[in-house]
Amino acid sequence: MFGIPVHIVLPTLLGSLLGGLLCSLMGVFVVRMNLSSLGFAMSHAAFAGAALGLAISVLDPLWMAIIFAVAIAAILGPLSEVSRLEPNTIIGATFPVMMAFGLIFINLAPSAAIGSGALSLLWGSVLGITMADVLKLGILAVVMITVLVGFGKEFLAILLDRKLAAASGVNTRVYYYLVLFLTAVTVALALRVTGGLLIYALMILPASAAYQLLYDIKKVFLLAPVLGVLSALGGFFLSLAADLPIGASIVLGAAAIFFVSVTLSPKRRRHQQTAC
Amino acid sequence: MEHLPIELVDVTAVYEGERIPALHGITLAVAPSELVGVVGPNGAGKTTLLEVINGLLPITTGTVRVLGEPVSPSSHGLRQQIAYLPQDLFFDPSTPFLSRDVALMGRFAVIGVFRFPSKADRALVTEAMAAVGIGDLAARPIGRLSGGQQRKVLLARVLAKRPQILLLDEPTMNLDPESKEEISHLVLQIHRELSLATLTVSHEPGPLLGRADRVLTVAGGRLVSDAPGNGTVTPTTVHAQCG
Repeated sequence: MFGIPVHIVLPTLLGSLLGGLLCSLMGVFVVRMNLSSLGFAMSHAAFAGAALGLAISVLDPLWMAIIFAVAIAAILGPLSEVSRLEPNTIIGATFPVMMAFGLIFINLAPSAAIGSGALSLLWGSVLGITMADVLKLGILAVVMITVLVGFGKEFLAILLDRKLAAASGVNTRVYYYLVLFLTAVTVALALRVTGGLLIYALMILPASAAYQLLYDIKKVFLLAPVLGVLSALGGFFLSLAADLPIGASIVLGAAAIFFVSVTLSPKRRRHQQTAC
Repeated sequence: MEHLPIELVDVTAVYEGERIPALHGITLAVAPSELVGVVGPNGAGKTTLLEVINGLLPITTGTVRVLGEPVSPSSHGLRQQIAYLPQDLFFDPSTPFLSRDVALMGRFAVIGVFRFPSKADRALVTEAMAAVGIGDLAARPIGRLSGGQQRKVLLARVLAKRPQILLLDEPTMNLDPESKEEISHLVLQIHRELSLATLTVSHEPGPLLGRADRVLTVAGGRLVSDAPGNGTVTPTTVHAQCG
């Protein structure tokens, strides 16, 4: 395909599609729960972790990315509740620190590692995805869908209103932390698709597009991953056809879908009619 | 031995980061099928009282028992028996939830984890929505309904839950006069039909306070009076009394 061997194209394509699916599924939570800066903090934490992995060369940068992203999730949840600060305030303070750590770790990394790894952490290296990476993303997809279906009722309740859910007998804290944890793992595993700087967009844009078009949360959970996969597919072929970086092309695809959805949104039209 | 639905003994509660208790030395009991009104000026501790009973706010001293069991923020199971309608909860027009799904959520804690709503659960919701007069709005997005209709969806959620205790925080707040009247009568109907122990906070006179068995007056976090609900204690008399 486009002169690229199938053994490179196939994992790249599958990795992109799974990355699009997973990120957009978690995006449904991130957008609705007003945690839109969460992706920022997680992706930069994953970036810092992977950079540390490059610097110390002891542990796979991927595992370091997961550890950092999950650690941030474990800190952000309790901190936002105990300190009575808005999650966005805490997250806003966290992500520049993570970015700074990432840059310091890259500076400390051996020069050989910098060339091959550092830029790919920032911008993604989807062409470097192996079938082993695809397998990890596939396992995460199965786990995530199982968790979402198994605890579907409880997740829907906290997505409507967390206080109302708590008053109804749902242990909202457990599900809130589960959302943070799944988001962290998703960001870390999908880091190679778009890189630390753009993964946030792949999380937010397809989910936001689905919210623009639908009034039923169950359908949003179906449409968002479809749009995420379409973004990945469109970006993948755009990148091959125009010789552009794949991660950036995927984000452009997601942005295009978002702008189309805003234009077609019945919610927006209704709002304009009301305003008139 | 049948336990009292709600029992508070010398309860004090302080919000995190604050020094002055929001509730101070509250002792009260609510009997089965009793309708109790709670009145008091703004910031008196009326909402706090409901949050303490529901276990959403931990207490500092004293005891809160619901159906004979001590209440704490981790009493998730106990909350299956309590229906709570928070103050001023309205959904914006873009809220991506259908009315019937919001009502069905009343059943979620009862259904339990790892289980899906059954046909019987859905039938209960359909029945509940019809009972409050919004059967035809089931497939409409909740945010596209009027304030009164949204309240009815939340009351259908209460009905579908089949609780033993009903806690209402200003159930008619920000509604037009017609909706206030309608919602008040629906609450009274649900209270009677399910034989609930009901505690309703209100800042304005109306059928709910008028029909209450007792009216509690809360001011400065303290219970200042516990009078029979013969219509003599209303928010108007309380404002005159407490400022």
